[in-house]
Amino acid sequence: MENQKKSDRPMTIQEAYEARPRLWWLYTLVVLIVAALLGWSGSAVVFKGFATKGVEVAKGVWNGLTHPDTALLFNLTTDGVPYQLMQTVAIAVLGTLIGGILAIPFSFLASDKIVPGWVAFLFRAFILLIRTIPSLVWALVWIRVTGPNAFCGVVTQSICSIGMISKMYITAIEDVDTRILESLDASGCTAFQKIRYGLLPQIIPNFISTVIYRFDINVKDATTLGIVGAGGIGAALIQCINSSRWSMVGAYLCGMVVLMLLIEWFSTKIRKRLTRG
Amino acid sequence: MIEFQHVSKTYPNGVKGLKDVNLSIGQGEFVAIIGLSGAGKSTLIRTINRMIDITEGTLTVDGVDVMSLRGKALRRFRRKIGMIFQSFNLITRSTALKNVLTSQVPDMNFFRVLLGIFTKEQKLRALEALDKVGILDKAYTRCDQLSGGQQQRVALARTLNQNPTIILADEPVAALDPVTAHQVMSDFKRINEEMNISVLINIHHVDLALKYATRVIGIRAGEIVYDGPTANVTQEILDSIYNGASVPQAGE
Amino acid sequence: MKKKASAEYRAPLFDRIFPPKTITLPNGHTVQQPRSRQPLIWICVVAAVWASVLLTGFDISILIKRGHQFTVILEQLFQPDWSFMPKVISPLFDTIKMSILGSVLGATLALPFAVVSSTNVNRSGVTVALCRFLLNLVRTLPTLVIAKFAALIFGLGTFAGTMAITVFTFGVVAKMLYEAIETIDMGAFEAMESAGGSKFQSFWSACMPQILPTYLSYCLYSLEMNIRAAAILGYVGAGGLGIIINERVGWRDYHGLGTLLLTLFIVVLVIENTSEYLRKKLS
Repeated sequence: MENQKKSDRPMTIQEAYEARPRLWWLYTLVVLIVAALLGWSGSAVVFKGFATKGVEVAKGVWNGLTHPDTALLFNLTTDGVPYQLMQTVAIAVLGTLIGGILAIPFSFLASDKIVPGWVAFLFRAFILLIRTIPSLVWALVWIRVTGPNAFCGVVTQSICSIGMISKMYITAIEDVDTRILESLDASGCTAFQKIRYGLLPQIIPNFISTVIYRFDINVKDATTLGIVGAGGIGAALIQCINSSRWSMVGAYLCGMVVLMLLIEWFSTKIRKRLTRG
Repeated sequence: MIEFQHVSKTYPNGVKGLKDVNLSIGQGEFVAIIGLSGAGKSTLIRTINRMIDITEGTLTVDGVDVMSLRGKALRRFRRKIGMIFQSFNLITRSTALKNVLTSQVPDMNFFRVLLGIFTKEQKLRALEALDKVGILDKAYTRCDQLSGGQQQRVALARTLNQNPTIILADEPVAALDPVTAHQVMSDFKRINEEMNISVLINIHHVDLALKYATRVIGIRAGEIVYDGPTANVTQEILDSIYNGASVPQAGE
Repeated sequence: MKKKASAEYRAPLFDRIFPPKTITLPNGHTVQQPRSRQPLIWICVVAAVWASVLLTGFDISILIKRGHQFTVILEQLFQPDWSFMPKVISPLFDTIKMSILGSVLGATLALPFAVVSSTNVNRSGVTVALCRFLLNLVRTLPTLVIAKFAALIFGLGTFAGTMAITVFTFGVVAKMLYEAIETIDMGAFEAMESAGGSKFQSFWSACMPQILPTYLSYCLYSLEMNIRAAAILGYVGAGGLGIIINERVGWRDYHGLGTLLLTLFIVVLVIENTSEYLRKKLS
């Protein structure tokens, strides 16, 4: 953006100063818009002091977290933390896997490199629709079909995962280097051979990486699905919170934190290896 | 006036960067420091503005004992010493002018720094600095759109903008092609002569060093092996600086 | 596995259990071909799936038998009840307000923590580890649980929701930001320090211009996520659309729920497109 006059005479410093781009009105506009938005939002969110039992609850949560119920933490029955966590992970494993498989046709049909533009647009809108509806709502709807159990969680996550996974698959598909396909073409490969040796080696690492990343998210999500009764650790946790049994709350939360940290550590490690080849 | 008296530098891992260095560099000199990679050229330069601490001896700049400085006094001391880097060290996303202005930041109060507000005087001074290195017309161009030589000039303008009495340059032309390297070196020469700023340059290109510098310091394994006027440098001296290895000549 | 400066190369555990196959070429040279890890990976995946099926009571026949139930609900969802619309507007605005304020607060709070957590700016290992541990802890807590606690502590309503969104945004943005800070070029920072700048001045003038576009784009991205996250917070009493979601599902009024979801869809669509447009401009 050089809009200075190109004259033969070199510019003087004063002229160069005058030629500075003036953007103050843009900055002012941005500041005004942000301030207006903040003012508008602030109007609804007013601190009305603590709830009647607020301080008590805060103390209880703190006590529970610092003194978790160790008996529950190592209890091996179906009420114990280990079983609940395993069920939570199990929901995420199946949900992610099914979602990851279902997303493959969706992503190919939503990529305008492969299908006509209007088909791609239609599927993109559909994917966005899936993504917009919160997983909790999906769970509430599916409960009517499967009843309140862990299976409901699996079905919910299978559907919800399609949204984000497809979105990331689509980028992977569109990043495919087509020059490799050309070279395979030149060496006389059939369409199937081109897909197998030109396309798959490029997209499979990306796809697996996406699925593992989504698994990470799904485990976290599965911990809260129990709140509506769709299995996993959330149901037990919310019951304990509602009945103010803070040391049990502490035990469940500690288990969740350790689990999440472990899974995140593994998933970053695997994904790093995948991207480095 | 920069004075090294029995200066040594031992790194935490036991490597000796400098061994008993004695030097005296007067105001307005143009000094080229030559030697092999790892011989201690960068260490020598960086001890002067104390980017690296020395472990023995005393180092005084304009009568100030560098090692005695701390915190605010050290930062004020560094204002007088400009530094140029091999990789330019510019904010590539910002315009040339904004890069030059950053050298004024240490003198500004907290809120001006926070909001990035510069006065008209500051801007004019920065533009003047850009004019001195001949790229005034690029003032509002982003640095990532400039060539390597232009970027090094922006870095030079940034340094000039802090009104230094000494400029330290660490391999300033190593990343540039031969023609641009000559241009940047002559910029240094001009600034050295017109503004009486001392210039200390680490340099790999012996031919450039001999052409522009008035004094050459040869360093080998942390020790000064030659210190004298450029005119007295002979092939034997160069051989001894480079451990008897053959010396690359011009056109390399 | 730490790569110490020992001269002896230690093969990974897998290669010690299954030693690599040695292939001898016709000219006598040999090549070591490591055994494929794929069979092991497949065994692990199959075992994990089998265990998960047992743990969750996975039963496809339920879906086949009662699947039509879902289509019934879906049909009702796609015939929204527009007369319900006025009741949606006010909680919808609450949701948007909660996410905007929560995003701004959380993202602002994230900046200093991200700087402290970056190893290239902060040289003190202890504070880096401490800060990262705190961030990890915050990120592992599900938003709904935070919202539940906030609702119990601050009382039901939008304030609790805003707090939950703030905490959530803080964790996510701080993590992404310190990863971004660690990839920036520290040359300009070094130049500022050599010119006598303090750590803060150097960081603000040399590193901020590099991070700012990334930072703003993360803020917008988190705003996108937050709208969707905030929509369900009301389910645990933290204000916004979640309250009506809970109520409509309870009454099995799927026409009303459909109205709500469709409005949410439109709002998300508008905000995502605006934010995507702005983010493209930033980069």
